[in-house]
Amino acid sequence: MVENYSSFIQEFRNWESAWVLEALCVIAHEIRILAERADKELASIGKTPEKLKGAGSFLMKVFGVLAGKGPKRVGALYVTCQLFKIYFKLGTVHLCRSVIRSIETARIFDFEEFPVRDKVTYMYYTGCLEVYNENFPAADHKLSYALTLVYNENFPAAEHKLSYALTYCSPLKEANISHQLLLELSFYAIEKLKCSLEGSEIGEGLIVIYVLMYNNVVLALKRGDLRLLRHALEEHEDRFLRSGVYLVLEKLELQVYQRLIKKIDIIQKQQDPNKAHQIKLEIIVKALKWLEMDMDVDEVECIVSILIYKNLMKGDYSALTDAQDTEEVIKLG
Amino acid sequence: MADRRGQRQRPMITKNYSSSSSTKSHKPLNPNSNTRIAHANKSATVNSGNEDNIDEHQDIPNLVGTCPFMCPVEERARRERLRDLAVFERLHGNPAKTSSTLAVKKFCRTISANNVQASDVRPVSVLEDTLNYVLNLLKSDCRFEVVHDFIFDRTRSIRQDLTMQNVTNDQAIHIYERMIKFHILSHHKLPKCGSPDTASICHLNMEQLTKALTSLFSLYEANRAPDSIYKDESEFHSYYVLLHLCSDNQSESLSLWFRRVPFVIMKSKEMCFARRILRFFRLGNYKQLIYTTEAEASYLQYCIIEPYISEIRALALSCVNYGGYKLQPYPLAHLSKLLMMQESDLESLCVDCGLQMSSDGTGKVLLSTKLTSTCNPKRGYQKYCEVVSERLERLAAEVSEL
Repeated sequence: MVENYSSFIQEFRNWESAWVLEALCVIAHEIRILAERADKELASIGKTPEKLKGAGSFLMKVFGVLAGKGPKRVGALYVTCQLFKIYFKLGTVHLCRSVIRSIETARIFDFEEFPVRDKVTYMYYTGCLEVYNENFPAADHKLSYALTLVYNENFPAAEHKLSYALTYCSPLKEANISHQLLLELSFYAIEKLKCSLEGSEIGEGLIVIYVLMYNNVVLALKRGDLRLLRHALEEHEDRFLRSGVYLVLEKLELQVYQRLIKKIDIIQKQQDPNKAHQIKLEIIVKALKWLEMDMDVDEVECIVSILIYKNLMKGDYSALTDAQDTEEVIKLG
Repeated sequence: MADRRGQRQRPMITKNYSSSSSTKSHKPLNPNSNTRIAHANKSATVNSGNEDNIDEHQDIPNLVGTCPFMCPVEERARRERLRDLAVFERLHGNPAKTSSTLAVKKFCRTISANNVQASDVRPVSVLEDTLNYVLNLLKSDCRFEVVHDFIFDRTRSIRQDLTMQNVTNDQAIHIYERMIKFHILSHHKLPKCGSPDTASICHLNMEQLTKALTSLFSLYEANRAPDSIYKDESEFHSYYVLLHLCSDNQSESLSLWFRRVPFVIMKSKEMCFARRILRFFRLGNYKQLIYTTEAEASYLQYCIIEPYISEIRALALSCVNYGGYKLQPYPLAHLSKLLMMQESDLESLCVDCGLQMSSDGTGKVLLSTKLTSTCNPKRGYQKYCEVVSERLERLAAEVSEL
């Protein structure tokens, strides 16, 4: 069958206009689906599943035909997305790079002119790649772009993707933006999701999964509850690991400490205004112990010094000296 | 092709498996499993791509080596003639004379596929003996760089022979595991040798370490049976994590790698340790990183972590210097406890970082200056990475057999 398609591509290469583009896209899609099924079949009878890989190299040729100048280029992004799907499935995402380069360096064709459907998919996948490479600002940009498009266009088939984009997007927001803002964003995102999916059954399922996965993470961040963060990560560990966001979420730990110390400060100020902006490290140890997190003064001191060093907290701290009467305190600036 | 290879390997598995695998899991090997062999085929392709671009050997069907010696007769004669013999290969120190018990096949980058003969390739059992022999040289009194140079080359050649014959069985796994251990140990020892081109040797060693590790993971994957993992599989996965504590953009990121690692391995004791170290390192939790390493690391894990320790210590100094309360200087004794290093070493590290110290009567203290630029936490502080620990010293002493 691939041979048939190959000759079709040969012909297509020679045509000036792009009138069969739609048919070509259908072929690209079909070939991927077929290859996936064939692989499943092959694996079940104990043969090497290699059809999807073959489909990948075939589509790469198709991409080559489309990626040039002219009207055919509109279809290039569709084929790119099919390629992404293949590479993500095969775990060979490094192969995405050359395709991305070709899309992003081409000046002849404005990215905005591609069909919305393809733009969303493309931005979603490249956004995921940025997450893996820990390039968060770029990831945030790309995923937000995909999300906004989905909202604006409001097309129902993308619900699925929307929820997945959220999977990647919200931890980024959590990690980068001050958490007040992020909470609003997350809840806003959830609300939006609810609205846009209202009435649809699959949608409900997705919301439930999403809310379950992230609710506790967000809550932990809001409360400064380290134990909750650990539990939330552990509870959905497999899922977080598979989607590649685990390490990003783990980074939230510092923000949780930041929140906790701020809360202690607020409470202390209410009880005794004279003690404002001065926290004994011992108090933080106690708070953590109450959360069943066993940490000694030394470790808390270490955390505090990192928070100050990374500018997540203003102030300075002093360490225990040999003289017993001096206590370790942080002075918040 | 898959089936033929399966038939070829079966006798080898049954012949040598039990005698050679003291440290391996006793996962039953089912030679009739078609799936397993099919997988092996896939991974062999991945493998050869990694191993020095000898993928043209893929085309040679059913190559089974017949060379009974560590070095093919022809190569031995040639190198005697050319006086191309390593110190360890010379008979009575004669640079033009060797023997079948001394000469070991050299790694050769450009072997053209056509003229590989079965008599030039060593079968697995010979490869195992060869590995035993070369690793045994670690016990010799020779300078470590010299021994390393020899073993580095000859183990590479062993891997080449394995790849040429497409061996993916348990023996191959065990061979790879031992070679990786050697590279990790070297990663630890080489910087301390103080030879002038240490940096490049370390780099090459690291390169082979990463390559071999990637090949090993493909081998594990090729032999994957449901609900069982190899005894040391988790430990070797933990090495990978520890080698990638710093995220550089060169290699695949850990987030991506974690997606593929089986969940059982992710939850194993060794991986949990490595993942905790990763968390501490990325968070900057210097106290826990050092304490946890001291308390829990296996010796080889420690060998990988050690270079990072000087880095995290320099970070700790930066933090204290930046965040410490100005009117109350920071006692060095306390810091030396947190960082598990001798106070005298800490003092010289402070000096190297350009920090000011003074004495307050009870002991040395660090003066906080609130400057961020004083410290330069790069990996140049080799001498400041050792952790004061009896447990680790004991482990170091126990490491003899690879």
